[in-house]
Amino acid sequence: MAKNTKKTSKSKRLQEYEKQMNMCIRCAYCFEKCPVIKEVQWDTDGARGKIIMSYGLLTGDLKPSQYIADKLFRCTYCRDCMDRCPSNLEILEIFTNARTELVDAGFASDTHKYIINNIKKTGNIYGDTEVITPEQKGKIPLFIGCQYLGRPNKTKKYIKILEKLGIQPTVVKEICCGFPMEVLGFKDEYEKHKIDFKKQFPYNDAIALCPTCTVFLKEGHKIKAKHVLQVILEKIPKANLGLKVTFHDPCDFSRGLKIIDEPRKILEKLGVEIVEMKNNKENSRCCGGGGGILMTDQELSNDIAKKRIHEALETGVDMLVTSCPTCESTLKKAAQEISEKEGKTITVRNIEDIIWRGLKDAENS
Amino acid sequence: MKIDIKLLKEIVDEENVTDNIADLYVYSSDASVHTKLPDVVIRPRKTEEIQKILKYANKNKIPVVTRGAGSGMSGQTVPIDGGIVLDMKKMDKIIKISPEDVLCKVEPGVINDELNRVLKPYGFFFPPTPSSGKICTIGGMIGTNASGNRSVKYGATRDAVLGMKVVLANGDLVTLGSNTKVDSSGYQLAKLMVGSEGTLGVVVEATLQISPIPKHRAMGVANFATLQDAGKMISETIASGITPSMLELMDKIAITAVNNAQKLGLPNVAAIVIFECNGMVKEAVEYDINQIKKVCKKNNGTGIKVTHDEDEMTKIYTGRKKLFPSLSSYKDGLFTTALADDMAVPMSKIADTVQKIHEIAKNNHLVMSAYGHCGSGLIHTKILMDTNKKSQWQDAKKAVKQVYDYVHSIGGTTSGEHGIGFSKGPSFKEEKKDSLEMMKSIKHALDPNNILNPHKLMDSPDDWLTATPLRYQVDI
Repeated sequence: MAKNTKKTSKSKRLQEYEKQMNMCIRCAYCFEKCPVIKEVQWDTDGARGKIIMSYGLLTGDLKPSQYIADKLFRCTYCRDCMDRCPSNLEILEIFTNARTELVDAGFASDTHKYIINNIKKTGNIYGDTEVITPEQKGKIPLFIGCQYLGRPNKTKKYIKILEKLGIQPTVVKEICCGFPMEVLGFKDEYEKHKIDFKKQFPYNDAIALCPTCTVFLKEGHKIKAKHVLQVILEKIPKANLGLKVTFHDPCDFSRGLKIIDEPRKILEKLGVEIVEMKNNKENSRCCGGGGGILMTDQELSNDIAKKRIHEALETGVDMLVTSCPTCESTLKKAAQEISEKEGKTITVRNIEDIIWRGLKDAENS
Repeated sequence: MKIDIKLLKEIVDEENVTDNIADLYVYSSDASVHTKLPDVVIRPRKTEEIQKILKYANKNKIPVVTRGAGSGMSGQTVPIDGGIVLDMKKMDKIIKISPEDVLCKVEPGVINDELNRVLKPYGFFFPPTPSSGKICTIGGMIGTNASGNRSVKYGATRDAVLGMKVVLANGDLVTLGSNTKVDSSGYQLAKLMVGSEGTLGVVVEATLQISPIPKHRAMGVANFATLQDAGKMISETIASGITPSMLELMDKIAITAVNNAQKLGLPNVAAIVIFECNGMVKEAVEYDINQIKKVCKKNNGTGIKVTHDEDEMTKIYTGRKKLFPSLSSYKDGLFTTALADDMAVPMSKIADTVQKIHEIAKNNHLVMSAYGHCGSGLIHTKILMDTNKKSQWQDAKKAVKQVYDYVHSIGGTTSGEHGIGFSKGPSFKEEKKDSLEMMKSIKHALDPNNILNPHKLMDSPDDWLTATPLRYQVDI
């Protein structure tokens, strides 16, 4: 006979989610397309396993450990599990709080600590005091985000695209949206950072370049944020690029922001034919770059990305277009490796390149 | 329990063995209410590895529990005695597809929907259609004799299993069954393995009969103001000679739960019946679906809709498919537990049984929903309760017994497709009291050291509530 005993919660962070974790009936529906569990194949690595571990941390059945931290940080935050969970659990909220629990207990990785310190010291993930924000006065606040600040040519291109379309962005000196702090388990730091962020970016409405920043401006900072493609679609002229591509939906786009049609309509207007991948739109397969996994589990991230490139290659086109800088760099790396090892080639481009070409084509004609 | 982890790592390579407490904790539970830590979890990749593992386990009397997705609801894969959990997901090859022989051969870790995806270009599918098809494994389906919404036409997993290869408790590999639909060659040992919940052997390969994908199908839905009318409609449909490919019931509680979680806007009625007909000839499908429409009308069905549009059919069916987990949205503070989760009753008793379930729920201060593949007499229910309250667990224990006592009294059986595990052990043992010794003899003959999933089925504890800790925060 087994005695069941109610335990006092050992985790303040996770207490708020006890109900959610009880609502998890452990059906394993979250396994269906989880990119991590498809690669690693231990139950522990899927969403259900992470929820169970989080429950263990809550009850004290599990003590924080490096092993548990490694497992809980092994998630790309692709949101696929949330879309599949019939109980509509706030799965990523549970993970974030469990990660925070582990960070509080001293199990943050050095790489993650480095990123957080960079943000605290310099306002960006690179720790670069010389990051130049192309400040300008305009009419609509534009949030560039760390990923695009680290790619100044792409940022310039996007700003020029907006201006050509008659949209005058206001760009201020900015600091990181704070998403890395939240997702990597540094919630207290994020709460302090939020105050500084509001001072640097005191707007209630904005356009953002990065899908993840867009989601976080909305969910974390309660700013009415639009992704730049939503604005571009309203004004993009027709062009005749004559390209045939496949489109990779970034997770934060198709599942986070529910933006699926906009990039496709833009490409269509520019005379680009899209050949869809098997897993597309709201079922898009993760690139392997999100959730902090790129920093601590590069091999796994790369394996996930290679699967996506193989899917792209199956379409028979020679170009993959996406709308996220992380997806672009992760998939580029995987495409390069596949090209070197298997001789199969596909070019990876961000959509702003295609839009830029389209505007030039429209101007010329 | 002392287990030679080093030896196990030599058998399957280090990366496929874990005894870390976090992994053990995750593998300690499935979709049931129970939890119990194993001592080690192993991921075998091939038959020879399983043979070596079982030889070792048998010699040292170490329990072995086989697990696929771990989506079983009755504690089948909870390692009640600790020991080894075999995570079979790495054995996921589709070995052979033979459309000319209408069969395929697969490893047990193949996921049901993945098998169907691969079969589709050949024009075939694997007919048991469990709701968990996107994640459940063929091995798990064999273990529980799973079925689903198409059981009314295609039967259960046992009907589609032709043969298999099994590793026995002593490590011997045996080939059971055949490659043919008819087989009168001695004891039907392959059929015996189906539904044995991992207590008689570890299935390492299955030969499955596949079915041609019907060219045409039509789906319909009807609303009923009373359960009695819905029950009569189901019973009369089956008795009419029409063989629908699906006949599903959802009660009021199920409807509310789905509307809350999925926002589908289903009508607020006592019962909804979803019906489907399929086949190769359009006119035949048309005839059948219209006959069912007539039966619906005769039994006061309203809002009767029939569609041939695939998107509409997907929409009708979505709510039903996600019903079980949606039940947790029924009422704040109540959680879905997989208790009294399935049963099968004679067709004519469906409505009475659903009524009885509601009555038992009310008397025991619980909420219980009734739904399921009523075309084959199968009813699902779940108990929605405050899992933090001891009194609710005591109520649940009474309710489970009362439900199954009633089911037995009308000639029904404890489980239709989810299996027994040990959540349903006491009621199962009561139902099968005449044949328990037979079952124990078979078990002892094949597994004399009782290592394969011990204390399940006929050997399950007398009190499921205290057999293991529960996975909830409650003092029992």
